[in-house]
Amino acid sequence: MKVTSYKLNDALFKTIIWIFLIVVTIYCLFPFAWMLSTSLKTESEAFRIPPTWIPLEPTGDSYIGIWVRKNFGIYFFNSTIISLATALLSTFFGALAGYGFSRFFFKGRRFLIGFFLATQMLPGVLLVGPYFKILSKVGLYDTRTGLIIAFLTICLPFSTWMMKGFIDKVPVELDQSAMVDGCSRMGIFFKIILPVVSPGMVATILFAFLLAWGDLLWALCLTSSEPMITVTLGIARTVGEFRIIWPMLMAGSLVGGMPAIILYVFLQRLLVQGLTAGAVKE
Amino acid sequence: MKGELYTLPFQGVDSLLNFRKRIKDRHMWVLFVLPGVLLLVLVLGFPAITSISYSIQAENKEIASYTFSHYVNLTKDPFFIRTFWNTGIFVFLSVAAHMVLGLAVAMVLNSALPAKPLFRIIALLPWVVPDVVAGIIWKWMYDPIYGALNDVLLKMGLINAPIEWLSNPNLALFSVILVNLWRGFPFVMLILLAGLQAIPQQLYEAAAIDGATKAQSFFHITIPGLKKMIVVALALDIVWEVRRFGLIQAMTHGGPGVLTEVLSTYTYKQYFQFFRFEYASAIAVIMTIVLLAASLPYIWMISQEE
Repeated sequence: MKVTSYKLNDALFKTIIWIFLIVVTIYCLFPFAWMLSTSLKTESEAFRIPPTWIPLEPTGDSYIGIWVRKNFGIYFFNSTIISLATALLSTFFGALAGYGFSRFFFKGRRFLIGFFLATQMLPGVLLVGPYFKILSKVGLYDTRTGLIIAFLTICLPFSTWMMKGFIDKVPVELDQSAMVDGCSRMGIFFKIILPVVSPGMVATILFAFLLAWGDLLWALCLTSSEPMITVTLGIARTVGEFRIIWPMLMAGSLVGGMPAIILYVFLQRLLVQGLTAGAVKE
Repeated sequence: MKGELYTLPFQGVDSLLNFRKRIKDRHMWVLFVLPGVLLLVLVLGFPAITSISYSIQAENKEIASYTFSHYVNLTKDPFFIRTFWNTGIFVFLSVAAHMVLGLAVAMVLNSALPAKPLFRIIALLPWVVPDVVAGIIWKWMYDPIYGALNDVLLKMGLINAPIEWLSNPNLALFSVILVNLWRGFPFVMLILLAGLQAIPQQLYEAAAIDGATKAQSFFHITIPGLKKMIVVALALDIVWEVRRFGLIQAMTHGGPGVLTEVLSTYTYKQYFQFFRFEYASAIAVIMTIVLLAASLPYIWMISQEE
């Protein structure tokens, strides 16, 4: 008797888990499905009552419209250049500092590590005001360069921390044997460490890229003219327009979110390793 | 381990010749760490200090004088007080919900389950889109007339009339939090899943042999095993949610009234709509203090391990 009731409980437990999973899946995916469905509708169909779930006459017009009628090409170009430059710069300096923190035990090391961690916590709104004033003064307001400098504030602390985590996992014996062979520190860093941690470096570059790609606050405060704005700002501005063309906005959001979706899905494992570096020692 | 490098015993003449090199190597950290530190001080430290100094300057520039009046005025600004509480509610409910749902999904995904990688990717998706995009999708989902959500609820018979998700004053903040739950729980799930996978399975087996119930193993094995991951997830999530900007800016601009206004959108408005730089800086400084205080356990934990 006892065994059967246990089995029954088990079956019930399994059913509950499956129902939970299905609910979570719907919660996660439904908004995306709605976005996709709307993006394939004509404008008049998007404003039908009641809403249609599957487009009656699917059309790809919105996906053409965002490049032709809106300046999505320019936004994409800007976002790509800005995010890429930020990612490369912050990963390079982050890797240097990460190696320093990983391999040298100097006085004040803990303080500097605390400093890097604390800078991750600062709110963007603390910095945008001074940035606005300073960049305006030196003529970098509303330029890609200005935004790249600003994004370094978000990305550099993260990159340093992630790179340190990846470098920590490289055995220090590697450095030692290279030193015995007469290799200089810089030589070790560039010729041995960087190649070994290259998967981690790619993850760091992409994470920094996506941090910059997803930002709205800085772009909103430090750029204004159409040729300089990013994808996120372009999308946000469309929402502010008097008459929102939802199919086009949904198409733009989908295309604008796509790089992030693709990169994250492929990199999730490396990303978790990087973010939790220090918290889990293997 | 790592310290061994320069405490290695000399290994013959070769090492003796390298003695000078060895001493110098101890100081090489400057070359690696300094560029990053200088860059950080330049692009981050300098503007941060500028902001702090704005916050204690008088708004009237004719007389260069320092004052704490902005901070005093903040305590009397009903909008700021409202915004402060909004942020508190927004962060507390978001983070608590992220933790509960994140842990639940992580535990399910950690059990024996077919198609695990697929579910993992599905549960990750909301987190990976920029928060502006998340806000916009849901703004359209929430549309009282043309949106999908009311349509579903009406068809299921759960409601009789369309709900004004974002313009009903009693509902707006919670509607925004619901979206933030959607986009934020996958991060906690990912981190906790990594933690769960690091807990040795033998612990559970041993506990089961000793007759422990599932609840007992959960509280005595799972939770202690996840402690560090929980600290990491909590710290990063709290900081990110306090700073959350794009989601709210895209969905409501802080409206209706100031009912969904949070500290970051309010500071932005003070800066770029009212051009009250000094006042805005004071808000930002208060936000910074709150954030640093909230993340202190995390910073302390990590630097202790170093």
